[in-house]
Amino acid sequence: MVTAEHVSERRLSIPNNPITGVLLAIPAYFAGLWLGTLFGLNDDANTGIILGYTFATVAFLIGVGFLNYPLERLFGWRVSPISDPEENRGIGRFFRLSLDHKVIGMQYLVTILIMLLFGGIGAMLIRSSLLSPDSSITPPGQYIMLIGLHSVMMIFITSAVIVGPFGNYLVPLMIGARRMAFPRLEALSFWLVPPAAVILAAAAFWGGFPTGWTGYPPLSEQAGQGMDSYIVGFALIGLALIVSGINMLATIITLRAPGMTWTRLPIFVWGIFTTSILGMLAAPVLAVALVQLAMDRTVQTSFFLSANGGSNYLWQNLFWFFGHPEVYIFILPAFGIIMEIVPHFARKPLWGYRTGVVGLFGVALLSWFVWQHHLFVSGIAPVLRPFYMLSTELISIPTGIIFLVTLGTLWRARVWFTVPMLFCMGFLFNFLIGGISGVYLSDVPTDVTLHGSYFSMAHFHYTIMGGEIFALMAACYYWLPKMTGKMLSATIGRVHFWWMFIAFNSTFFPLFIAGILNMPRRVSSYDPALQGLNTWVTISAYFLFGSMILFAGNVIYSLFFSARPALANPWHARSLEWQLPTPVPAYNFERVPMIVGGPYDYGVPNARPVADLGGLVGVTGGG
Amino acid sequence: MGMFRLEGQDRVHAGRLAVIWVILSVIGIVAALQIHYPPYDNSVQGADQSKTMALMTVLAVPIFIGVVLMLVYSAIFFRRRGLELVDGPPMLGNTPVQVAWIGISAVVVLFLAVVGITTLASSSAAQAVGAAGRAIGQSGETGSSTAGGQGPELQVQVVAQQWYFTYRYADYGGVETTHLYLPLNRPVELHVTSLDIIHSFWAYQLGVKADANPGVDNVFHVTPDKLGGFQVRCAELCGIWHGHMADSDGRVVSQSDFDAWIAQQQKDEADIQKALPSYAPYYFPEPLTKGS
Amino acid sequence: MLGRLAFVAGSVVAVIVATVALVGLFMLQRPGTLEGPSTSIHLETVAAVGAAIEWPRPNDPHLDWVSYLPTTILRVPANSTINVQIDQEDGATGLRNPFWGKVFGTDGGNMHVKYFDDKGNPQEGDMTSIDPTLAAHTFAVPDLGVFVPLLGISDNAPAGSANIITFSFKTKGPGVYRWQCFVPCAAGTVFGNGGPMQTLGYMAGELIVS
Ligand SMILES: [Cu+2]
Ligand SMILES: [Cu+2]
Ligand SMILES: [Cu+2]
Repeated sequence: MVTAEHVSERRLSIPNNPITGVLLAIPAYFAGLWLGTLFGLNDDANTGIILGYTFATVAFLIGVGFLNYPLERLFGWRVSPISDPEENRGIGRFFRLSLDHKVIGMQYLVTILIMLLFGGIGAMLIRSSLLSPDSSITPPGQYIMLIGLHSVMMIFITSAVIVGPFGNYLVPLMIGARRMAFPRLEALSFWLVPPAAVILAAAAFWGGFPTGWTGYPPLSEQAGQGMDSYIVGFALIGLALIVSGINMLATIITLRAPGMTWTRLPIFVWGIFTTSILGMLAAPVLAVALVQLAMDRTVQTSFFLSANGGSNYLWQNLFWFFGHPEVYIFILPAFGIIMEIVPHFARKPLWGYRTGVVGLFGVALLSWFVWQHHLFVSGIAPVLRPFYMLSTELISIPTGIIFLVTLGTLWRARVWFTVPMLFCMGFLFNFLIGGISGVYLSDVPTDVTLHGSYFSMAHFHYTIMGGEIFALMAACYYWLPKMTGKMLSATIGRVHFWWMFIAFNSTFFPLFIAGILNMPRRVSSYDPALQGLNTWVTISAYFLFGSMILFAGNVIYSLFFSARPALANPWHARSLEWQLPTPVPAYNFERVPMIVGGPYDYGVPNARPVADLGGLVGVTGGG
Repeated sequence: MGMFRLEGQDRVHAGRLAVIWVILSVIGIVAALQIHYPPYDNSVQGADQSKTMALMTVLAVPIFIGVVLMLVYSAIFFRRRGLELVDGPPMLGNTPVQVAWIGISAVVVLFLAVVGITTLASSSAAQAVGAAGRAIGQSGETGSSTAGGQGPELQVQVVAQQWYFTYRYADYGGVETTHLYLPLNRPVELHVTSLDIIHSFWAYQLGVKADANPGVDNVFHVTPDKLGGFQVRCAELCGIWHGHMADSDGRVVSQSDFDAWIAQQQKDEADIQKALPSYAPYYFPEPLTKGS
Repeated sequence: MLGRLAFVAGSVVAVIVATVALVGLFMLQRPGTLEGPSTSIHLETVAAVGAAIEWPRPNDPHLDWVSYLPTTILRVPANSTINVQIDQEDGATGLRNPFWGKVFGTDGGNMHVKYFDDKGNPQEGDMTSIDPTLAAHTFAVPDLGVFVPLLGISDNAPAGSANIITFSFKTKGPGVYRWQCFVPCAAGTVFGNGGPMQTLGYMAGELIVS
């Protein structure tokens, strides 16, 4: 540690903010583009574009202020006050680099909700063009571009939509920590997301990329310069996953308050813990595949070109070895949210806490052994199929545990049907359908018909949108009062829930039928016999989009126009984060708290409050 | 953790739920059995898939009904009455119930897997989902041998290219055609390959889906057993015309009609057949470069 | 208070509508459409848009792309005979699948070709197939069963000349039919099928039958 005397008071007078970042990024992009031409490769400027995006990202991060700390350590300059949450105050802290996990959580939330709006607009345009069975509305080139942009944007979002905002904000509060283990890595994991989104959107200027989110070569090597956006954007998100995974694991392992034993850990933290393991281990595999793809596209290697001795199966294996854990990266924190919220409103202890944790780990572990179910019809060796069929079906056992734990918690409960609770119920219904339809896809004989059809598309929208996004909504209604100090309107919330629930099912359930009836995924033209079904789906999708607008309206209305300040503990919940005052102080806890009780001990005779906050003022547990 | 013993209240709720669940499940299963599942029974393999889909639905219905019933029941009977916040009974878990749940789900899963694997292992199903795709440089037999003594299999190659499927009949001098015609009741060995990027050959009514990879011979088997047309679609994103890579003129015809048709094809296309490369498991036709 | 709410709600809605409109317009953009519906189509194929003789497109963003000209969005009437003339100015690339060297689906099963032989002498005749290695492009409407290979211009042909290919085919009911080229003519892309081969207005087109 450098002591105070050694720190010179000299300050660098560069204002560190995203505008500086952008101003540095633009010349850096052109520098990369120019550097690419020096190699003299006949590569359609792909080298330059990839270098340009990479340089631009680095320059942006420097502009935001990530170089400050190294400079401080190197030269003893005091560059900026960002390191200290108590110094970095005011509304401006949300718009610049901050090392406060609560600020980062809010930055994540707003960024990702804006990205969600664009991803959603993409979905609406896709659905609109499917009003016609031929490609008379959207030309086919733009249609596959929409497919690519919508899918990858949504993958970026769903990789971080719970871990980013709620993981960062809540994990330290839930485990009784004053900060994250690696605040700079935490900030980095956030500041990689906006460049990734912008780089992805830049694909539109190059005509997009035709591969969807799976990026299968050789198509992705045939594709134009838009594909470079996919490579760099996805790599940045992968980096964010690795960095955030390391940080979360280190935080949860090392910074738990005294008395916060592993069995007292809130189940949401377990969800983050398991998802972080997956993110940290899976994303490097993606990175390898992306580097190989970039090399094939630029320096003319042939990792994936069978004509030159490569194999396109290599990509499929690497991609899905990452990709299947990736889908559990989406859903494990959602499981955590559901199991976290249900006990507080059921007013009962979480039923089978340890079994629930085992379920989370079971899903995380099994997710590594199933990836070839995406290759059942690809021509893999038939002897492998029974194994992947079995391992995939085995995942329904730990997933079933999640249902067991929530249903057991609801058993003979006194459920308080708040808006978050409604979304939890909606999650269970949707995810049930998503899970059962997954079994159809895991079985080789049925997968022959269903693979690559709208059935699988409906399946993963049920698990991701019906699952993860419903859990996100539950989390927003449940925790935003703590994060923003304002209650979201429950009346609008109820309308929002029923509207979204009905519109969601009306949109995606018919797509199972479309898939069974011969409609492949990602097509701009389809069997005219299915036009009626598709029109129904499109209209439902408009309503679904409307429900999200209603949600945005509710947030804006409740935060800025309704004068309903939230109580410190509006749900009378026992868990630690609700014992803190609102707004949460800069370092959360004045002193590291002493944990003396479990978070879910509702109705337990002589249950102690969850923690001794050392005299910090807050509302004590509702139990 | 309590013992496996139901308190009075538990018994009332569990009894009610069990009765409703059984009634609804029976209704649901009967309803599920009324559905004729795609890809119907235009081929031996399609009928197998259709049966498997029916079996899965029959198993899924009670699970779906059970969970939804629990959710609805909780919403009705386990909701808070009045405005006062009351804690529920502090049940921390029940080992026998947990063991039973995990045990039952394991049994269902293993049953499904065993059914799936045996369907897969039985000769017709093994053919339904194909034998190994042979990668470059691998030698060995082409796919598996003939089906249960029904005579030699017809060898048909599916050649995917951006953005159309053509077909070559190995037994007829490698004649290439723009539509797929198959004779009735004759086992067919499909060899699916691609001339460029990855496509997926999906003959919906026949219950066949096989990826077409460049440099790979992906072998699938099908025995059509109903006369009529079928649709062919590409099921793997392959660029701008992926959605248009379809053909609704596939036909299953009688053996005599097939013989007449293939003879006609050989005659009509004699001029171009000379220029085709000889029939091979896969091709690497290098595109010629532009003239000097 | 209410006014402020209305203002914020209004501006949020306005931003969304504007974004949707902007993105939507971009997404709906098609290259220019040929006048029509007409029963006769006249096209030119060039090795590079910048080298066009009959229909130059000087402001094209891809002047070095191989292309059909003037556009590839064609309007034709339903259930009628369409007469096509293609002035083929590009040299041979060769077919990946030699099978497409054969003419399918035209009236009479053939095409009429005015071309230059390898000595540069003008020739003329009806053809049902061509040498696959001499194909420069194909004009193919797979949903109508129409596949016509286009003979590449001989190296010894006079400068600025073209092979003139004429044929006719019948349309079916109304709808949007894709048409494409089967020659991997997009130089520099993997398998020759990237870039212009996958962009409307170059080697990919739509036949709007009304
Ligand atoms: Cu998977
Ligand atoms: Cu295809
Ligand atoms: Cu061409």
